[in-house]
Amino acid sequence: MRQTRRLFALLLRAYLRDRTALFFSLVVPLMLMVIFGYLNLGDFGRVGLAIDDQAKNQSSAQFVQILKGIETLRVSELPADEALNMVRRTELDMLVVIPPDFAIAPARPGQTVPQIVIYGDDARPQQVAVGRQIVAQVIDRLSFAVTQTAPVIAVKEETIQGVRLRYVDFLVPGILGINIMQLAIFSVAFALVADKQKGVLRRIMATPVRVSNLLAAHVLTRLVIATGQVAVLLLVALVLFNVTIVGGLAPLFAVALLGTILFLTIGFALAGWATTENQVPAIAQLITLPQFFFSGVFFSKNAAPELIRPATNWLPLTLLNDALREISVQGATLWDVRVQILGLLVWTLAGFILAVRLFRFEKF
Amino acid sequence: MTPIVQVADLRKRYGEIEAVRGISFFVEPGEVFGLLGPNGAGKTTTVEILEGLRKADGGSATVAGVDVFADPSGVKRRIGVQLQASAFPDNLTARETVRFFAACYDLDVDELALLRLVELDERAGQPQAKLSGGQRQRLSIATALVNQPQVLFLDEPTTGLDPQARHNLWALIRSIQARGTTVFLTTHYLDEAEILCDRVAIMDQGNIVALDPPRKLIDDLLARGFTKPVLQQKANLEDVFLALTGHELREG
Repeated sequence: MRQTRRLFALLLRAYLRDRTALFFSLVVPLMLMVIFGYLNLGDFGRVGLAIDDQAKNQSSAQFVQILKGIETLRVSELPADEALNMVRRTELDMLVVIPPDFAIAPARPGQTVPQIVIYGDDARPQQVAVGRQIVAQVIDRLSFAVTQTAPVIAVKEETIQGVRLRYVDFLVPGILGINIMQLAIFSVAFALVADKQKGVLRRIMATPVRVSNLLAAHVLTRLVIATGQVAVLLLVALVLFNVTIVGGLAPLFAVALLGTILFLTIGFALAGWATTENQVPAIAQLITLPQFFFSGVFFSKNAAPELIRPATNWLPLTLLNDALREISVQGATLWDVRVQILGLLVWTLAGFILAVRLFRFEKF
Repeated sequence: MTPIVQVADLRKRYGEIEAVRGISFFVEPGEVFGLLGPNGAGKTTTVEILEGLRKADGGSATVAGVDVFADPSGVKRRIGVQLQASAFPDNLTARETVRFFAACYDLDVDELALLRLVELDERAGQPQAKLSGGQRQRLSIATALVNQPQVLFLDEPTTGLDPQARHNLWALIRSIQARGTTVFLTTHYLDEAEILCDRVAIMDQGNIVALDPPRKLIDDLLARGFTKPVLQQKANLEDVFLALTGHELREG
């Protein structure tokens, strides 16, 4: 314990003196956040609209078909309760429920008119307004074609209290996730492979130091740096972008640390495998780049091609981002994100086994 | 006195190459022992086995009373090591580097006293990466002394140093010997061996081909009728160089 503490104190001090490493662990993530935050990519794109077709008849099929053909809409067919949940999480902008008695036919006296219900996310008023208008126009056109008269379908509108999620609110947990990954993998892999190549590890192994203590000191150093990084990023996000963090900071940091440990194991495995510094970036990019794009850092992970989505959902960074986002945006507790935490633990175990197999101090 | 290093029939092969072919020797406490030989003779392999860094294929070795094969970390606790082509952790000052190695032995040391011993106390706060070659070798010796070792292993300590720095390091090695520490060094500078070592072993192709005090090796050679083709000069170029540039260390 004492040995670990002393080694940790020196390694941390050395790390903080390393300007390049600090630059990459603080300035680059801040740049990413500021650039993407101001670009506000989330406001572009189409209106996410779900349809629950409870009629399943010819008319409703025709109605759905027309909506699906409209460029501005991103239409998916989902059961109402599932879709409503997604609207609440601002993953969808609106839901259109087609009633069982839906029909496009002249109204008969005494009979009630079928009523479509539109649920819109109040956090995305522009998108909802656009979507509502499109739906109304489609109904008008269909009605006119059939009956040459005014609408035969009533539209009822409901507002759903969605999270007031701006793009930057969505973005910040993703930035946290990706930086945890980058810091943990790159800082360990680069530092240890450089130490290996320069003979630092050989020199250390000529002392009776306990390897586990030395590794623990390296891990602790990264955990402290990662905590500091998360704190600075959150602070800037709060000050500069006025980001809302609904959930608690403690669970957010807990998940961040778990993610750090997970990616550290991968960093150690990589450091064990690589023999020269040049091998590190190649392999590290191979591991991090797909996750960069498919783990929902900058865009919803649903933007990944349908075919690979089941796989991308279980990527370590996806799990980490999902957990961070649920806590930050939805106010989830650790218990609410237990599935993600479990997934992260499984990955950590796998990474740990890999690191133990590949990392051989004695070889250096 | 019982030898402080005892090696019997030590063997090591790397694939097809027999790096060490069953060598035996001993080192007496308090002496400066030199292992000489051309590159690839097996010096570094031998030293690294004795330091507990490499496994041997056969034979036996004890250092400071500890069986190297059975208890490498026991050996590491009792010796000090300066490796060829090694480096210190980045971004630490000279003093912190000593502290780092003290932590590796889990010992508390007076870092400044150690730095004073190697004449680096004035550089204590300087980043170790900014030290000159000679200063870094001296720092390396300071880190090798944190555990008050019984044997100090130095692998080619003066390679790449200028003449002033070499002479300075020789003086340091003698002062360490004067404190009662046994010094085991490898070198391919013969003048260094002649000046520093009480006894030298000459290694070639994995075997020890001679082992005696340097003076005796020279006398034996002369006794075999050897004569140098060129008349011995009263001074050599190094003497000229040092007379012109002085013995003072040149360090930034």
